[in-house]
Amino acid sequence: MGSRKNFVHYLILAFVAIAVIVYITPIYWILATSLKRLSDITTRLPKFVFDISLENYQKLMPPEGVADVTYLFLGEVLVGLLLFGFFSLFNVRLPRALSLRNLGLIWNSVFVLTCLYSFLSLPPMQSRLQTDARFNFLLLIVCTIIAYLLIAPWRKTGGLTSQTLKKQRLTFVLPSIFGTVAICAVLANGGSKYFYQLLNSIIIGGGSTILAVGLGTLAAYAFSRFDIAGKDDLLFFILSTRMLPPVVVVIPIYLMYSALGLRDTHFGLILLYTTFNVSFAVWLMKGFIDEIPKEYEDAALVDGYSRFQTFLKVILPQSVTGIAATAVFCLITAWNEFAFALVLTEVGGRAVTAPPSITSATGSTGMDWGKIAAGTFVFLLPVAVFTFLMRSHLLRGVTFGAVKK
Amino acid sequence: MKSVRISLVLAIILALAFVSAPKADNHQSQSLTIVWAEWDPANYLQELSKDFTAETGIAVDVIQIPWPNFQDKVFTAFVGKSDLYDIVIGDSQWLGRNSQGQNYINLTDWINENIDVDSIYGPAMTAFAEYPKGSGTYWALPAEVDAAGYVYRKDLFEDPNEMKAFQAKYGYALAPPKTYDQLRDIAEFFTRPDQDLYGIATWYSKEYDGITMGFQQVMWSFGGAYGDAESHKVAGHINTDDAVKALEFYTSLLQFAPPDAPNYYWAETLNAYNSGKVAMAMNYFAFFPGVVDPKSNAISHDKSGFFIAPSGPKGHYISIGGQGMSISSYSKNKDLAKQYMKWFMQKPVQEKWAALGGFTPHKEVLQSDTFKTASPFNEAFAASFPYLRDFWAVPEYAELLEVCQTNWSQAISKIKSAKEALDAIARKHEEIFEDAGYYDE
Amino acid sequence: MSDYQLKMAFIMPTMILLILMNIFPLLWSLYLSFHRYKASMPAAPRFIGVRNYSRLLADPEIWGYFQTTAYFVILAVAAQFFIGFGLALLLNRDFRYKGFVTTLLLLPMMLSPVVVGLFWRFILSSDNAGLLNFFLSPFLKSPIGWTTNPKVAMLAVVIVDTWMWSPFMMLIALAGLSAVPKSLYEAADVDRASAWFKFREITLPLVSPLLLIALLFRTMDAFKMFDIVYVLTREGGPGTATETVSMNLYKLAFRNYNTGKACAMAYILLIIIVALSNIYVKYLNRVKGEAQET
Repeated sequence: MGSRKNFVHYLILAFVAIAVIVYITPIYWILATSLKRLSDITTRLPKFVFDISLENYQKLMPPEGVADVTYLFLGEVLVGLLLFGFFSLFNVRLPRALSLRNLGLIWNSVFVLTCLYSFLSLPPMQSRLQTDARFNFLLLIVCTIIAYLLIAPWRKTGGLTSQTLKKQRLTFVLPSIFGTVAICAVLANGGSKYFYQLLNSIIIGGGSTILAVGLGTLAAYAFSRFDIAGKDDLLFFILSTRMLPPVVVVIPIYLMYSALGLRDTHFGLILLYTTFNVSFAVWLMKGFIDEIPKEYEDAALVDGYSRFQTFLKVILPQSVTGIAATAVFCLITAWNEFAFALVLTEVGGRAVTAPPSITSATGSTGMDWGKIAAGTFVFLLPVAVFTFLMRSHLLRGVTFGAVKK
Repeated sequence: MKSVRISLVLAIILALAFVSAPKADNHQSQSLTIVWAEWDPANYLQELSKDFTAETGIAVDVIQIPWPNFQDKVFTAFVGKSDLYDIVIGDSQWLGRNSQGQNYINLTDWINENIDVDSIYGPAMTAFAEYPKGSGTYWALPAEVDAAGYVYRKDLFEDPNEMKAFQAKYGYALAPPKTYDQLRDIAEFFTRPDQDLYGIATWYSKEYDGITMGFQQVMWSFGGAYGDAESHKVAGHINTDDAVKALEFYTSLLQFAPPDAPNYYWAETLNAYNSGKVAMAMNYFAFFPGVVDPKSNAISHDKSGFFIAPSGPKGHYISIGGQGMSISSYSKNKDLAKQYMKWFMQKPVQEKWAALGGFTPHKEVLQSDTFKTASPFNEAFAASFPYLRDFWAVPEYAELLEVCQTNWSQAISKIKSAKEALDAIARKHEEIFEDAGYYDE
Repeated sequence: MSDYQLKMAFIMPTMILLILMNIFPLLWSLYLSFHRYKASMPAAPRFIGVRNYSRLLADPEIWGYFQTTAYFVILAVAAQFFIGFGLALLLNRDFRYKGFVTTLLLLPMMLSPVVVGLFWRFILSSDNAGLLNFFLSPFLKSPIGWTTNPKVAMLAVVIVDTWMWSPFMMLIALAGLSAVPKSLYEAADVDRASAWFKFREITLPLVSPLLLIALLFRTMDAFKMFDIVYVLTREGGPGTATETVSMNLYKLAFRNYNTGKACAMAYILLIIIVALSNIYVKYLNRVKGEAQET
């Protein structure tokens, strides 16, 4: 009996392996194509053995060369990850003046200073059609400070619990994350169209994800905990907005945006993607908050917390999983959106995102599959990494509250 | 402590809102934006414009939109009243729509005062600048004159063994075809799937104007027509037996084309030729620099010959290409744009434009020997001029084009018969004209 | 802050956003759908009653596009359902690197559909370096014209869409499967129940509400599908073999600028989708009720 069970187990694993190969092959092919020379791509039969060449990635870079600050940022990204890894693996005793907390603060300050330096030292971009990419450094400084304040443990005293240690270590990753964005900003400012669009995708995708998840969580809490007249109808209404085919609303929105001057602006696209994601976010988050026992809140209320404080102190920490899963879905949707971006941005314009432009690598000599593949692969990396980091939350996150534990 | 933290976060969010608020455009210097399709001539124009910047200090940016989206993107920008583009280099068919839709500014008075119209090749002025035709009202200046033409593999055509075999099989000498019948024979002759060699690559794509530009010249040469230019009646012109024969002929060429041919647009046609897959390829002359460039065509860049589109049983017509330069009515730099266009039309600039690879509309430059020998295909290009014809240029052209694209695409993939497709086009075209009020009188 | 104020403060931003960005545009397009209006022309909208609708409903080609869409939705959603659920059943056990394998399988879903469509054009090519035709070449005499033969073009679109979205189905099914209490299976084992019995009587009823929601989302998305046909089969080619309603609507609205007519067509599509999802949700509620009883 036992051997038969084992056999079945391995058989199933073999099936899983086959499935993984089938699903991954096209993605491997994108990677392989991005590393090929043009002459290796347009062969009659697919070529599996080839000389690796980075020329397709070079096509994405600024035509006039890469600014020196890029390497500075690249170094900070790597060092940040190394520090994080080092402190997570080894329990180092540090002198008081150089505690983990202070080191994190210093490391983030270094990053902020680099951003400031880049902002001041880089020459402005020439094109009239695109917004000045250097302002993103200021944005990044603000983001770093906010994220640092949110993550870093505030209280000086209170012992080093594993929780605070974890948080302190996390502060080392911040410059790595924002540093990657800073690299995009430097390259965009240097004249790379691709990285300009990638930067737009980051701003628009990130902004709309934060907004959609934020608004969705608030609304979901209200729907979950309060009596609302016509609750079911309202919820169905919210869901039904998600069912609208984009092409149905894109016509009036296009006319509306044209009249308001919102076409080809970051704000316009953020608003639009938020609208499309918020209904999804409300539904996902409601399922989550429904699962959090009411007793927790009641206890907090008895302790003298206000409703709002309970929401912050009890509900939010409890629904981290749901927020993570919702964020993954919202980010994927906004990141990859095409139809609206096609109609609501201009080629070479201010807010054009990457999907409509990756597909346009035709040039004057025919389809440049290598450049398309390179652009696709770089574009896939941020969401793939984000999803990978959130993977443990993802499974639990998608139950829509349909499965009661 | 807590309140400090919250107020700090709030302050930063405010700062963030401040920083990310729309910034005023930094007009540190004057600049012009020109929008064109993504191809070599646009690169030449960018190169040429450096002289303009050197002379005047005005920066020029040439934005390139991929061909399949070219029309859609420019029109969504126009309808959205976007001021991003100052000069639009648009297809000849766009004139009616953009003049009636008030997207182009009327240049008649300015052109008559500032430009020597006689120095411009007459048919080009009519095709790219004038609307309605014959009215003397100008909306543009010709920038690039273009025509559909063919490239062929000289090494294959001049191979003695091939020549002998061809003579034996078809009874006449192997040479660049003069008629569509010869074109078909040669295409058939070179179709050898086992060697991955096919006879012909030509446009069949459903994107933008692909199959229409490829097929319309065959249709005209076989005796079909889009319709009556005066009455706008279509039935009886486009669905005649001649047109049906033409469409069946064009469909039959597919058997001598590579397997993916129903998807071929300019890029795929170019790819097929450059990778040595086909003996002949149809494309617009402006794409041929990619054929003679050793970087993009390692196989046959020095073994390529060019010939003009063949004639049919009932005439000789060739699809016109090329674009005129117009000024967007939403531009904030109209005067700069005019300055640029005046500069562009000067003879020395046009000579340089031609030398870079642009197809100049300047009569003298165009007819000079230096132009004809500037590239291997310029002679065939110049020979195509007398035969050029255009699609409808009426404001409704986009709808008319869409109907043609869909139905012809259905015909070549055998979803509809040639007759059915042409009848459907006739019916839909008349419906469009009726809606637009052409038949009210 | 009172509860009421809090409630309002929490709900209002979302509702205002939805009303401004969804309801208002919808009403506007309803208004335009009764007018002859071209956004590209300076003429103001002219009221023409239901002529846009009657024209559309009388046009057999429009119904052809609806048929194509329905065909696509049924094929694609069915394929995604069975493959996704099957994968979830396979993955629903403990093995090493499970989290990693699951994330790998999710990769296709993270790509932009338009990029997927474009790149699959390369993979499905029968001219140059077509990967799929290469793998199939031992079984075929001549390469399949995936994007050029009108008979298989729809299949190509379904394959691409399934490759991309069956992981989504798998993810949700997996979430449902992992929520089924182990004790139920143990109890069934005591009764020496067959594997099929366990699947039919325990797994299916408990997972089905979630599966239905996943189906609902996929059906809605499949109805809207535009990106893949826009690039993979070049605007719904060959001929009109893969021209979905969304594709046609895009052309009507942003190529022909037949704004009034396009709005009317959008409304027809909207009514169909709302009706369909209503049926879905009713059915879902019934299944959910049954699941809670067991």
